[in-house]
Amino acid sequence: MTAAPAAPSRAEILSLLRSLLRVSAKFSDYNIREYTRRRTIDGFRQNRTLSDPSSVANAFADGKSELEIAKRQAVVYSLYAPKVKSIIELYSKSGV
Amino acid sequence: MKGVKISGRPLYLDMQATTPVDPRVIDAMLPYYLSRFGNPHSRTHLYGWESENAVETARAQVASLINASPREIIFTSGATESNNISVKGVMHFYKDKKRHVITTQTEHKCVLDSCRHLQQEGFDVTYLPVQSNGIIDLEKLRAAIRPDTGLVSVMAVNNEIGVIQPIEEIGQICKEFNIPFHTDAAQALGKIPVDVEKMNVSLMSLSGHKIYGPKGIGALYMRRRPRIRVEPQMNGGGQERGIRSGTVPTPLVVGFGAACELAMKEMEYDDTRIRGLQDRLLKGIREKLDGVVVNGCMERRYAGNLNLSFAYVEGESLLMGLKEVAVSSGSACTSASLEPSYVLRALGVEEDMAHTSIRFGIGRFTTEAEIDRAAELTVKQVEKLREMSPLYEMVKEGIDLKSIQWAQH
Repeated sequence: MTAAPAAPSRAEILSLLRSLLRVSAKFSDYNIREYTRRRTIDGFRQNRTLSDPSSVANAFADGKSELEIAKRQAVVYSLYAPKVKSIIELYSKSGV
Repeated sequence: MKGVKISGRPLYLDMQATTPVDPRVIDAMLPYYLSRFGNPHSRTHLYGWESENAVETARAQVASLINASPREIIFTSGATESNNISVKGVMHFYKDKKRHVITTQTEHKCVLDSCRHLQQEGFDVTYLPVQSNGIIDLEKLRAAIRPDTGLVSVMAVNNEIGVIQPIEEIGQICKEFNIPFHTDAAQALGKIPVDVEKMNVSLMSLSGHKIYGPKGIGALYMRRRPRIRVEPQMNGGGQERGIRSGTVPTPLVVGFGAACELAMKEMEYDDTRIRGLQDRLLKGIREKLDGVVVNGCMERRYAGNLNLSFAYVEGESLLMGLKEVAVSSGSACTSASLEPSYVLRALGVEEDMAHTSIRFGIGRFTTEAEIDRAAELTVKQVEKLREMSPLYEMVKEGIDLKSIQWAQH
């Protein structure tokens, strides 16, 4: 193991949150899109109480790697998106 | 599909049949479908080495989710294969001394069929009944044990009704009598804490595609101390220590390992959420409908499985009417037959109620909107069917259905 990276600044953390939310919105699959968004928000909310610099740094590193995965997978999902959308999306659009 | 017109993809509430693959799992698997395609058993080049490393990492990930040693994990094609190896393999290995197997009436088809197979070979099998809440009676288990009992096999979480069997207590009884204990934990893994030491199991079947991993991969946990031995079902190159010959599918194994690691990380978060969604669904349906019965124990159950029976409604018509909701009447393996589920019959559920059961499976990716929609559609459909039902009319008029003399047909 290398030495723990320095704790990120508040601005860096908020930027990571924004990037994660932005990429989650790109998922073509309704359930995955909702999950990624929800999990991001809940994860950040849960980690808000972290004060120890090394655990903040660890959570930040986890978030970074989640972001990389989400970026790649949003592309993969879009490549193979079914033509027909989820019934839930159709309802919410038509306002029924 | 023929005769069915749907405008969008149905919302998926059949998580016991299979789960969608988590994007983080796909992400771990993809490299092993592309450049890293080596055979993990190739010892002479890099392709083999990198695949072998990946397989061993995954083995450790699976092992750590169930608190086992990586050396106790055998990769198989899924829980069905693991169950077959466990039931038939153990009994065949110890056939000279042990001639008796104990299982339950509510096991998965593959355990029951393996037992049936053993019976044809001359082994004795006791199928323990379950109580009306779906849980086995520990005293009955104790009473069924004989000196030549070679295996007790009880599933951890039931696939149809979601009840959790008292695995720790059963493990304790088996330890007392020194009998190998096998549990099918396909529906329990990643959803409830599973610990092979606490549960004192000798063999455990695991599956990848029930925990947001890929299909076609599973594992068998085999205890090393005290050592349990089985006769292999598959003979060949001697992979997986000769228990399961055949090339280990690296991408699937990597996916299974990633799914296990995720399950460990997400278990608490998923569980809280799934509990909330289950409450929401049950409330949404019960608020508007009477005559809704939850099948199986309410306290000892996995929240992601809600098996409901709707009185005075015919199950198949209800399922057909719910075409926008992907649900099932029970096990996917038997979903093509019109027969009521043998699991519900074992619980002593009346024939008419067993015919109207629907299993709602809630998972990691289920949303509130889906639950609300499913509740709304179910209520609408049940109300519609009850309106047409002469039985429901009679009940409303105060006629006891049991007193009716039906003409022979």
